Amino acid sequence: MSDARALSLIPGLTDAPVKLTFRGVSKAYATGSGTTVEAIRDVSFDVVAGEFVCLIGPSGCGKSTILNLLAGLERPDRGEVLLDGAPITEPGPDRALLFQDPALFPWLSVRGNVEYALRLRGTPAGELRDTAEHWLQRVHLSAFADLQPHELSGGMRHRAALARALACRPEVLLADEPFGALDAQMREILQVELQQVWSELGNTLVFVTHNVREATFLADRVILLTARPGRPIEEYRITTPRPRQFDDALLRSVVQDIHERLSKEVERAAGEEAIRQDLA
Amino acid sequence: MSSGEPDAGAFGRVGSDRVSPQELDVLLRVRDSLRSISFGTVLIVVQDGRVVQIETAEKIRLR
Repeated sequence: MSDARALSLIPGLTDAPVKLTFRGVSKAYATGSGTTVEAIRDVSFDVVAGEFVCLIGPSGCGKSTILNLLAGLERPDRGEVLLDGAPITEPGPDRALLFQDPALFPWLSVRGNVEYALRLRGTPAGELRDTAEHWLQRVHLSAFADLQPHELSGGMRHRAALARALACRPEVLLADEPFGALDAQMREILQVELQQVWSELGNTLVFVTHNVREATFLADRVILLTARPGRPIEEYRITTPRPRQFDDALLRSVVQDIHERLSKEVERAAGEEAIRQDLA
Repeated sequence: MSSGEPDAGAFGRVGSDRVSPQELDVLLRVRDSLRSISFGTVLIVVQDGRVVQIETAEKIRLR
């Protein structure tokens, strides 16, 4: 690596245009028993084009709600959710979603799954096979292209889902704990692959996880949320150049810092819960 | 310290007051890193006597 590259701070990110905006967004859900649960309250943040943002927080802090709002699967009760300055009202091909479950079509081959997504995106029939092949190669699945999802290992299924999402060249990739169900080793392999692909494509990535190490390793910016209702309480801007090392000293210290902050937050939430129960 | 060849550190020869262009480059980058954050950490990575990486992690309280 050349000195210039190694020494560079994150270049020009602040000059990039804002891609996604959350402005004073609140969202509550009705429960079966007739009460409402406030998932997020008055959440505001921007994500600039090409940025890699991780949302992290204890369970129930509204991470998935934020992602669903960005995906257009839900509408905010209050506030605005914007893409390129325009309100998000429905899902669109400019935003791809990755879930904890790979959600492949079980009746299609791996190739068929990727081609299906490409067809939806309007890729000409003549280019389907080559484009699918290119992305399967990127995630090292070419040799398994003709297998059905159930014939693959868990990690391979996740790589297939990643290929399917990326093949559509989405401007924004939204990921909801996509590696949550994987063993530690496969998780690390996919983290490195995702980082590589993101570096090359330069798309905007919002990644939800409850794994502090994963968030710190991957992101330009880690946004820490508190629970019930979810609100951002802290953020970390990390300029460590990529490819990053898992044992990077700076990343380790950030991980420790976030862990401490999170455990304080969990204790605080537990304390409040205990007081509420005493009063009840 | 011995009177012979000076020790070599990350900034080359020890004992010279002059700042080389390479050193100045590193110093300016460290300055920029420090200027870019209010709270957080700046990490300087040295390999084989050379500064190869300067990383920052800025912490921002939102509430």
